[in-house]
Amino acid sequence: MKGKRVLIINRGEIAIRVAKALNELGLVSVGVWTDNETEPPHLEYCQEWVHLSGSNNKETYLNIPKILNLIDDYKIDGVHPGYGFLSENREFSEALAKKGITFIGPNPTAVYKMGAKDISKQVAKEAGVPVVPGSIGEVPSIEEAIKIAEEIGYPILLKAVAGGGGKGMRPCFNEEDIKNHFSAVQREALSSFGYAALLVEKYILNPHHIEVQILADKKGNVYHVFERECSIQRRHQKIIEEAPSPFIGTDEAVRKAICETAVKCAKAVNYDSAGTVEFIMGEDKKFYFLEMNTRIQVEHPITEEITGVDLVANMIKAAFNEPLDFKSQDDIKIHGHAIELRICAEDPITMLPAPGKIVGFETTFPQGIRFDHCIYPKFSITSDFDPMIGKLIAKGLTRDVALRKIRNAVDGLLIDGIKTNIPLHKVILDEENFQKGLYSTNYIGTIRPQDKVPPKENIEAFFLKVAGIEINQFEGKV
Amino acid sequence: MRYYFLNQDMKEFSLDVELRSTNVMDFYHEGQRSNIFIRSLAGKKFYSFDGIKWKKLVALGVNEVLVSHSEVYKVYRGFKPSGLNKGGAGALITQMPGKIVKLIKKEGDKVSKGETVLILEAMKMENEIKSGVDGVIKAINVKEGVALEAGFLMVEISENS
Repeated sequence: MKGKRVLIINRGEIAIRVAKALNELGLVSVGVWTDNETEPPHLEYCQEWVHLSGSNNKETYLNIPKILNLIDDYKIDGVHPGYGFLSENREFSEALAKKGITFIGPNPTAVYKMGAKDISKQVAKEAGVPVVPGSIGEVPSIEEAIKIAEEIGYPILLKAVAGGGGKGMRPCFNEEDIKNHFSAVQREALSSFGYAALLVEKYILNPHHIEVQILADKKGNVYHVFERECSIQRRHQKIIEEAPSPFIGTDEAVRKAICETAVKCAKAVNYDSAGTVEFIMGEDKKFYFLEMNTRIQVEHPITEEITGVDLVANMIKAAFNEPLDFKSQDDIKIHGHAIELRICAEDPITMLPAPGKIVGFETTFPQGIRFDHCIYPKFSITSDFDPMIGKLIAKGLTRDVALRKIRNAVDGLLIDGIKTNIPLHKVILDEENFQKGLYSTNYIGTIRPQDKVPPKENIEAFFLKVAGIEINQFEGKV
Repeated sequence: MRYYFLNQDMKEFSLDVELRSTNVMDFYHEGQRSNIFIRSLAGKKFYSFDGIKWKKLVALGVNEVLVSHSEVYKVYRGFKPSGLNKGGAGALITQMPGKIVKLIKKEGDKVSKGETVLILEAMKMENEIKSGVDGVIKAINVKEGVALEAGFLMVEISENS
């Protein structure tokens, strides 16, 4: 494996995370830059820099023929897709397999079976895993969607077959909603994933989003690396995640059941990489298979923090058929608790993306903090890409300790020049229900922490901003 | 040095800052004076209001966009971005972001219609910005080398009546 050349076909913090793992394992990390990223920070960690020409995602990060050409031109042995973009694109993984290029992800059949939500549900069902009622296969039309909705009962969720990360999905509470949203969700699916097909499923009220990390190799070993709770979401996108789940808590029987069910799902498709089986859990702790993400996920660090398993490095090792860092399921244990805050360039109250240019960045963190990010002063956040710019992760012996650390860390995270959701995170971390671990995916909608974000800063805050400019002027650094 | 802040709704407020010594800044706002102590330490900047409790200061560049929780401000150091929405034949306003390369005229100069007042670099090209009227330069709100956003009133010319 040493010396193999791996192209990272992604950007931002995940490209940095992958490059770090490649470098550490003795592989050659090859990063890309496109025409609308003038100073991509991820290249700092890449050993080689390659130009992927074009100025929109269709021309660059989603352009399979162009990427295949790069692979030929730069004698690439393997590709890490990160998350988003082509990470769960069957066409891409098949094209790589055909060329004999190692795809750092699961085999194309597993991508095919689990990457598309319509087929994955069927696979799970056949493996004896409980699934949320809904359409089998894609729903071609509004009429068909309404028909299924009437069968399973409202509310229902319209979802992109190829989707993930909350993009391309919308709840519908009646026929009117379906008529209004169907084509919008299709468009979102097409622009985000290059594939417009939709499916329909039952929308469970007050649910918990609990997912299980899977790590598998090419020898047929499938391990679970315990669960994560990702119920703090806005617009179906996670903003705070923690591991282990406070909702499962000390209920080891449920923990064992959900983890073993996840392994069963992964085995059903001969899974051979890092992946995540997502479940929706009702208040009765019954859980249903939602989907399997056949990629490394944004929130993987909290699992790494509580288990000590380097998921990205082991994913790379699995792809090159190298032995993993551990020998058996019993080697993987939970030590403590981890919480992750997604730091996004967005308005803390409306939670809508707010692109802009970072003009200042400083950090002061306590012990036990990990910050995976791509932030630097003068970094421009454009509307071309996801507004997530970093992940602040705290680890502690208990949930209370992790909470204490993350609360202190977020005070020490100073980003100036753009709106961020940092003020919202502070409100959530100070909120009673969150502190007690009592929350479902309806948290943002019902508790409404966004309403408690202080609307304005005092004049002293402006003095400090002026002081920040004057000090640079004084030192002639402009 | 006077600072002007302008929010999305073009509302502005200002404050004054004076460097009393290398590590004390005096601020004046609405008749009140406050001072902030500044120190450099290990390549970082720190501030204090009382000289005892210190916190990290984010060092910023000039003409940056600042954010107050959910409000975005543009900040101007030393010049006032007044009359942004005024327009009119005697107002020279940036049509796109650019940088002042050279000021040809100064305040009080007579200009005739079509005469070049300043040179603005935008989209990597130098553009001669010409007066639209015969008149006198009433105010120049920019300096050479300053980078400007679109919609900025650079020069005001009072038209001959």
